[in-house]
Amino acid sequence: MIAVESLVKTRGGVRVLDEVSLAGAAGGVTALVGASGSGKTTLLRCLNGLETFEAGSLAVAGHRLVAGPHPPATLEVLRRDVGMVFQQFNLFPHLSVVDNVTLGPRVVLRETVSVARGRALDLLDRVGLADFATARPATLSGGQQQRVAIARALAMRPRVMLFDEPTSALDPAMTAEVLDVIVDLARSGQTMVVVTHDHGFARRAATWVVELAAGRVARQGPPPDVLG
Amino acid sequence: MRRLGHVRAPVAAVLAILAVGGTVTRAAELDEVVRRGALVWAADQEGGGPHVFPDPEQPTRLTGFEVELADLVAAELGVTARFQQGQWDRLPLLLGRSADCVINGFELTPERRRDYGCSRPYFAYALQFVGRRGAAPATLADLAAPGPRGAWRVGVLTGSAAEQVLRARSDLQVEVIGYDGTVDSLEQLRGGVLDGVVMDDCIFTFYADRFADLRAVDRPFAGGSYTVLTAAATPRLAAAIDAALGRLIADGRLEALYDRWDLAGRQQMLLLRDAAEIPAATRRDTWDLVRDTAPLLLKSAGMTVLLSCAAFPLAIAIGLAVAIGRLHGPAWLGPVLATYVEVLRGTPLMLQLYAIFFLLPKVGLALPAIVAAVAGLALNYSAYESEIYRAGLRAVPAGQLEAAMSLGLTKWQALRHVLVPQAVRLVMPPVTSDFIALFKDTSVCSAITVIELTKRYSVLALSTGRIVELAVATALLYLAMSWPLAILSRWFERRLERPAGARP
Ligand SMILES: Nc1ncnc2c1ncn2[C@@H]1O[C@H](COP(=O)(O)OP(=O)(O)OP(=O)(O)O)[C@@H](O)[C@H]1O
Ligand SMILES: [Mg+2]
Repeated sequence: MIAVESLVKTRGGVRVLDEVSLAGAAGGVTALVGASGSGKTTLLRCLNGLETFEAGSLAVAGHRLVAGPHPPATLEVLRRDVGMVFQQFNLFPHLSVVDNVTLGPRVVLRETVSVARGRALDLLDRVGLADFATARPATLSGGQQQRVAIARALAMRPRVMLFDEPTSALDPAMTAEVLDVIVDLARSGQTMVVVTHDHGFARRAATWVVELAAGRVARQGPPPDVLG
Repeated sequence: MRRLGHVRAPVAAVLAILAVGGTVTRAAELDEVVRRGALVWAADQEGGGPHVFPDPEQPTRLTGFEVELADLVAAELGVTARFQQGQWDRLPLLLGRSADCVINGFELTPERRRDYGCSRPYFAYALQFVGRRGAAPATLADLAAPGPRGAWRVGVLTGSAAEQVLRARSDLQVEVIGYDGTVDSLEQLRGGVLDGVVMDDCIFTFYADRFADLRAVDRPFAGGSYTVLTAAATPRLAAAIDAALGRLIADGRLEALYDRWDLAGRQQMLLLRDAAEIPAATRRDTWDLVRDTAPLLLKSAGMTVLLSCAAFPLAIAIGLAVAIGRLHGPAWLGPVLATYVEVLRGTPLMLQLYAIFFLLPKVGLALPAIVAAVAGLALNYSAYESEIYRAGLRAVPAGQLEAAMSLGLTKWQALRHVLVPQAVRLVMPPVTSDFIALFKDTSVCSAITVIELTKRYSVLALSTGRIVELAVATALLYLAMSWPLAILSRWFERRLERPAGARP
């Protein structure tokens, strides 16, 4: 499902990703760990084409990206199959919670309003926010917002989900409620890549762990091998 | 000017009243004119020949029969004549301030006799209907029924006797359109925008060669005489000018002048023999004035609203398109749109309106005045709105576009569903305030014959002489229209300042 081969990404002459290859991350839950500035976010953004790279190639959910500018058409089909959840949630503040969730299905998948809405309410129920469908994002707590963001990404029925430190902007109580949702998702067989500093979570949920250090893969393998 | 916003509206209204209503403070009487050694006479060289116009051989020099008349009158007073330029329908406002008298084809009317010093008549004019060769109307009788395009569209000089006479003729199926210059109206007639122009016959005679494709329709149908206007506060100056004219007529110098200009018709000679007495007008009370002028003022206020409400949505649509094109369009489009914005922001609205109304017909695109006005306002404001929307689009956090694209939206879909709605909300206060500015800028459209509220005020004030009362009424009308907008704009601002969560 996910393969990365000798990926090189430079910023201002510095290699922020240096010959990164992911071998065993075919399916399941991959945890990306490593020190701050080691390139975790950059690698994740490369996976759904938000960043271009200079050398190497990658394949996600059957879509292949190569070095250089990505053709918009390639990105549009890739992103239907790859969902992304951001550290800062990035909910659409002008839309209600349910409209945040239905936007993609309506505009991209051309679902009717009633179909998209029905699925959105199911997803909101699944992340525990059925009562907040008509609220504005700004009225929700951080943990609730992040769960809406997860529902929004899931509404596209992605084959791969990418999470960039989904809980680092949250306090412990809110962190727990978001992690519960992600662990649930993992159990249901969703392929995902999660950037995290939380080794406990990685040990509990991940099937494969990749540790980056200064843009290189320091270690990768099953959780016990990498995290000890 | 245009960025005043709603706060200044009342202030502007008060200033307008002071500026227009603050009447004559220090009118120069005869002795001061003599001491100064110069008689300052006002006229509008844009009004055209044969009255006062730039010498075609030497455009820095003014010529015309009234230039020579002013020289003769000044010489009689023992001083030299000094010219003061002004827009024709506002020349009387210069009296007692920057001019001692107005010599510019001002018809002797009862209202003018009441409000100004008026000399004995010095010239006989006759009103002539001018049409295109080979085009309807063939005779004046045709005006009684609508033409092929509905009411006949007839141009006149704003504030002239031609305008008054024509507007009073309810038996004619004509739409009267006011112009600031005679040549402008003839150009528009030639371009097919107008069906006819009514003007003093001597003016048409003067321009007949230049407009060989135009013709006089029937004989002149009305007439009157010109007078020299002075301020009401300078009776001795008025008497001196009147006496000077008397001497010029008596010893034949005026006749000789008209001979030289080929203006010495039979009518002229009869007039010079006996200056007719004109009955004085009675002053009406304020209530009568309100009753008589209210329908006209309200109708013109409607025009102001129509212009604003038609132009602004267009300006917003174009402005938004330009902003999106500059930020997200192909690379070559950027400089093109930047030039569009700078050209429209860097040239006066008045000039743009002129170009659309007077120049486009030369390349075959003759727009009705209202369409030209709406187009001009919309284009001009689109430049400003595009800058506002550009700033608004840039103020939306980058994460929004990334989140939308991560859902698989194309860039255009992301713009339509995510970026633009947020930018539009963000810039609501400045955009509303621009709407108020445009609302007031509609007054510029009078330059291309659209009569909106300010123009109507100016015409009514000059024809009735009730400058202050009408200024108050006009200012109140403007406030009644802009106040709700100001309230709306403040409401938007408060709504945006509130924490997002407090919104329903
Ligand atoms: N927009 C940017 N412009 C320039 N350099 C950047 C930018 N974003 C990140 N970098 C640099 O790229 C490198 C990798 O950054 P990245 O954000 O991928 O690290 P990270 O592992 O996600 O760190 P963290 O744990 O702090 O989120 C760092 O050296 C960082 O300084
Ligand atoms: Mg990061």
